[in-house]
Amino acid sequence: MKSHFELEDALFIGFCATLLVVLKSMLRLKLGLSGHSMFLMTFFYLLCYGAVGRVGCITACGLLAGIVAMMLSVGKGGPLILLKFGLPAVAMDLTLLMIAGVFKLRWQCVIVALIGCLAWASKGWVENMLAGMTHQIALTKFALNFLQGGVFAIGAALIVPTVLRRLQSHDLLQDHHKQYK
Amino acid sequence: MRVNPLRRLAVGKRRRFLGRLNKTHYCALALLLSLLLSTSAFLLPSSALWILVALNGGLVVHGLLLKKKISALLKIATVQLVTTMGLYYLFHGESQLLEGAVVVLRVLLAMLPGWWLSSTQPPERLGEVLSWGLPHQWAFVVAASLSLLPFMSRELKEIYQIQCMRGARITPKALRNPKNWPEFIYCVLLPLLIQLLKLSKQMAISAKLRHFGNAAKATHWPSTRDSE
Repeated sequence: MKSHFELEDALFIGFCATLLVVLKSMLRLKLGLSGHSMFLMTFFYLLCYGAVGRVGCITACGLLAGIVAMMLSVGKGGPLILLKFGLPAVAMDLTLLMIAGVFKLRWQCVIVALIGCLAWASKGWVENMLAGMTHQIALTKFALNFLQGGVFAIGAALIVPTVLRRLQSHDLLQDHHKQYK
Repeated sequence: MRVNPLRRLAVGKRRRFLGRLNKTHYCALALLLSLLLSTSAFLLPSSALWILVALNGGLVVHGLLLKKKISALLKIATVQLVTTMGLYYLFHGESQLLEGAVVVLRVLLAMLPGWWLSSTQPPERLGEVLSWGLPHQWAFVVAASLSLLPFMSRELKEIYQIQCMRGARITPKALRNPKNWPEFIYCVLLPLLIQLLKLSKQMAISAKLRHFGNAAKATHWPSTRDSE
């Protein structure tokens, strides 16, 4: 993690990561829906990107969420949970490097969310293959995960620009940020 | 009475070693132990789980002796048990109920070390330990986020209850329908995010006024709990 973020931005990223972990543990208990974690992950990752406006903030948020989840023992992976949060975040940041400024914010969010979901589903596919699952079943599970997670991720991506606009109307986002259209 | 010189040497060595260990070292050891136990809950075979049960039992006793509350964790474990066993009964019948119970036990065993760590170690110490591996700024961020966890939970609950009383469709039953999720975000998360953005600005100013990040080697504010 690079430490060139302003302290204020770094703290906001940390708060978002902690809130993501807290909400994830609460919703897991009450809903039990598969793929719903992509909703929260996408929402908070994209919110960090919108509020901080710097490439690398999604990766920072993902790794911090992994560390916090690991320390609070949220989730079932123990220290491996770092990968679960970190992998989609790195994929989203890399996508942003390629498409930043090409599309409007709404489309950027949707594309980045889908790539994040692809990384999330791929992690499951690799795990299943390592566990000795057959190609067909592993691919079927991958497709199902991608579909389920994709729906939630797109839902979150469509909400983010509206939330950013409302935060901007409260004069809470810094001046260098663009108009959130 | 004559004391064996070898034994005296061993005792002396142990005392010197323990003397060098301060509270931060103990916290680092606690963090390592917690990580090890959490990971083992998923990696150990079912036949060896009793070892983990015994070790975690010790952690629970230690936490309870320090008068830490475990009711929230027990509530989570009960909900996990009821939902998981219900699903196992639905999909596999009575034959695999024991496997379901083992799964819940593993999840509980993975959560217990985290409870013990967070209830026995102050966040300031955890931040100090993390700063050994992380840049100081990010270690500070992790420690600040963890120490603000009770504040966030309290604010989240308060805003949630107030919005429920105002008639927002965000009750647990209403949230089963994903159509109501945007309402949850606008009614609950947005006010909380506004507060967190303001808080991050205030904390950053407060830290800068205390010359945070100016020293080449980071110093750590002593925990108020240490002096109690």
